[in-house]
Amino acid sequence: MLKYVLKRLSAAIVSMFIVITVVFLLMRLMPVEGYFGGRADSMTEENKQRILENMGLLDPWYEQLLNFYNDLIHLDFGRSVTLQPNTPVVKILGKKLPYSVGFGLGAIAISLVLGCSLGVLMARRQRGFWDKIGTGYIVFINAVPPIVYYLMIQISVTAATPLPMLFNERKPLSFVLPLICMALGPTANYAMWIRRYMVDELNRDYIKLARAKGMPNNKIMVRHVMRNAFIPLAQYLPSTILFTISGSIYVEALFSIPGMGGLLINAIQKQDNPLVQAVVLMYAVMGVFGLLLGDIAMAICDPRISLSRKGGSR
Amino acid sequence: MENNVVLSVRDLVVQFTLRGQVLTAIRGASLDLYKGESLAIVGESGSGKSVFTKSFMGMLDKNGSIKSGEILYDGMDLAKFKTEADWLKIRGHRIAMVFQDPMTALSPLVTVGRQIAETLELHQGLRGRAAKEKAIEILRDVGITNPERRYKQYPHEFSGGMRQRVVIAIAVACNPEILICDEPTTALDVTIQAQILDLLRDLQKRYGLTVIYITHDLGVVASVSDRIAVMYAGDIVEIGRSDEIFYDPRHPYTWALLSSLPQLGERGEDLFAIAGTPPNLFRPIKGDAFAPRNPYALKVDFQYRPPYFDVSPTHKARTWLLDPRAPKVERPKNLDRIREMGGFIHE
Ligand SMILES: Nc1ncnc2c1ncn2[C@@H]1O[C@H](COP(=O)(O)OP(=O)(O)OP(=O)(O)O)[C@@H](O)[C@H]1O
Ligand SMILES: [Mg+2]
Repeated sequence: MLKYVLKRLSAAIVSMFIVITVVFLLMRLMPVEGYFGGRADSMTEENKQRILENMGLLDPWYEQLLNFYNDLIHLDFGRSVTLQPNTPVVKILGKKLPYSVGFGLGAIAISLVLGCSLGVLMARRQRGFWDKIGTGYIVFINAVPPIVYYLMIQISVTAATPLPMLFNERKPLSFVLPLICMALGPTANYAMWIRRYMVDELNRDYIKLARAKGMPNNKIMVRHVMRNAFIPLAQYLPSTILFTISGSIYVEALFSIPGMGGLLINAIQKQDNPLVQAVVLMYAVMGVFGLLLGDIAMAICDPRISLSRKGGSR
Repeated sequence: MENNVVLSVRDLVVQFTLRGQVLTAIRGASLDLYKGESLAIVGESGSGKSVFTKSFMGMLDKNGSIKSGEILYDGMDLAKFKTEADWLKIRGHRIAMVFQDPMTALSPLVTVGRQIAETLELHQGLRGRAAKEKAIEILRDVGITNPERRYKQYPHEFSGGMRQRVVIAIAVACNPEILICDEPTTALDVTIQAQILDLLRDLQKRYGLTVIYITHDLGVVASVSDRIAVMYAGDIVEIGRSDEIFYDPRHPYTWALLSSLPQLGERGEDLFAIAGTPPNLFRPIKGDAFAPRNPYALKVDFQYRPPYFDVSPTHKARTWLLDPRAPKVERPKNLDRIREMGGFIHE
């Protein structure tokens, strides 16, 4: 187990290192105008050179790379140039991240509970009442663009109830709608996966044996079916969680939540190179980290992995 | 053999619905199972051996059901059982089952010991330490060395033969009266097969079990069973003590089955194979189901289904050849060699 985790961890660190380097190299390909804060036209060539010089961008590339690593270790991502001129990037992210993480975690919690329950209900009686309802819901969520039902919910619910339309930090009631909107999609996905994996498990021989030894259906569901069905989910869970907490563009825009959602697009549009770099790095690291956590989660759930040599390759 | 019937099946009919069509898998089969005996059910693939025994435990697939007939056990008619609660009184508790494929029969995420212990909790009311100790004892009983350590291991750490021992341990942990072994050794290699059969024989004595073996390996049958039931197209066509079936078979299907024993083959010749194919169970069957493949078939075989004719008090067969009016037919000569070869039947 420990060996497996260490192996995964070192692999993750190596890929993190590669990702960071690639991001660095890609950023060197961006037009340098991204460092002048939109005043490039009015600046003299001398001024531009001085700014680049100050940022260390004229050093040889290997020195730049070393500096880059060094800054990263000290969590120094530079300062924003256009979006919020001269504010440290860390500060900008630090302000926005809590909103996205908060809503993301809330939505994940809701959708895990609802999605898994729905999936279990669906699997218990195939083609039964819940299965039909759930299938309809899943089809709807996957067929209709999210922005459509987000808008529908925002408009109709606020018209029918006193729930506020826009996010307001001091009114907890205003959290309700964004949370619901964000939870809808993942709920459908979790329900779909749980149902599918459980139906797979239900037809296995060991379920027959459990029945033959006189175990009641409810116990079989909890002890054997759900447990086995959860394994394939465990691998993807961390990634989906990280993805959700990195902010929802639509929901945050619709309810004007000052989160991370539109940050990357904004930063690119405004040519704010340091900010772009930081956000891209963050997403990349989250991706690697999500996979790592998924592998570890699966190893915790599945005793077959910790012992087999090439366990991670499944 | 004491005349003590534990389970009595009367005219059982089991049907499946498949894409709107009805398949009759068991066509009015009857069987008396005696306490403490070991009965083998033999017959070719698809003859209904598994379906027949699954119906004793309410383990039929969802599209199947008992259409008519009775399964009498301990004053109850199991054929009338509908709800899960009904069956929970029987499953494991009174009748337990060992399946064919030990590689997939155990839950991969639960330790072997737990899977036995949870069975003990269900049926013997043991909890915690008591359940664990008993489970270790049973593991030792089924021939697993170092059971304390093995208790904590997962199924993937066991070999196929070892896993089958665990599956058997689970069945034994139920403390059942009847144990159904559905091809318990088919998935195992030959040396392991013999060990598992030894184990089952041993456990039968030790726990006073009544055992039903399902197999199409007549060699296996001979070594473990007191009686043999021969199944064809969803019916038991001949039943008798093992020696009666091997040395004095009466039904032409039994003749054909025995003729296909590799031991009877001549060196350099093809092994005997039964001509034709089993009947289509989607259609009603007229007369004797084996008639179209039977070289000894009489006219009446195509018209009327034969009743059982008694050969001895313990031996009966469903064939018109046993009717006093039937012409005298000799069974194939090579079957006499079974007796000469001897050593086929235990004790
Ligand atoms: N769920 C089902 N739906 C439809 N038909 C079924 C179903 N289960 C079994 N049958 C049919 O019932 C008949 C008897 O099947 P069964 O599995 O009892 O045969 P068997 O004698 O055990 O064969 P084998 O030696 O291959 O295990 C077969 O014709 C089979 O196709
Ligand atoms: Mg079978």
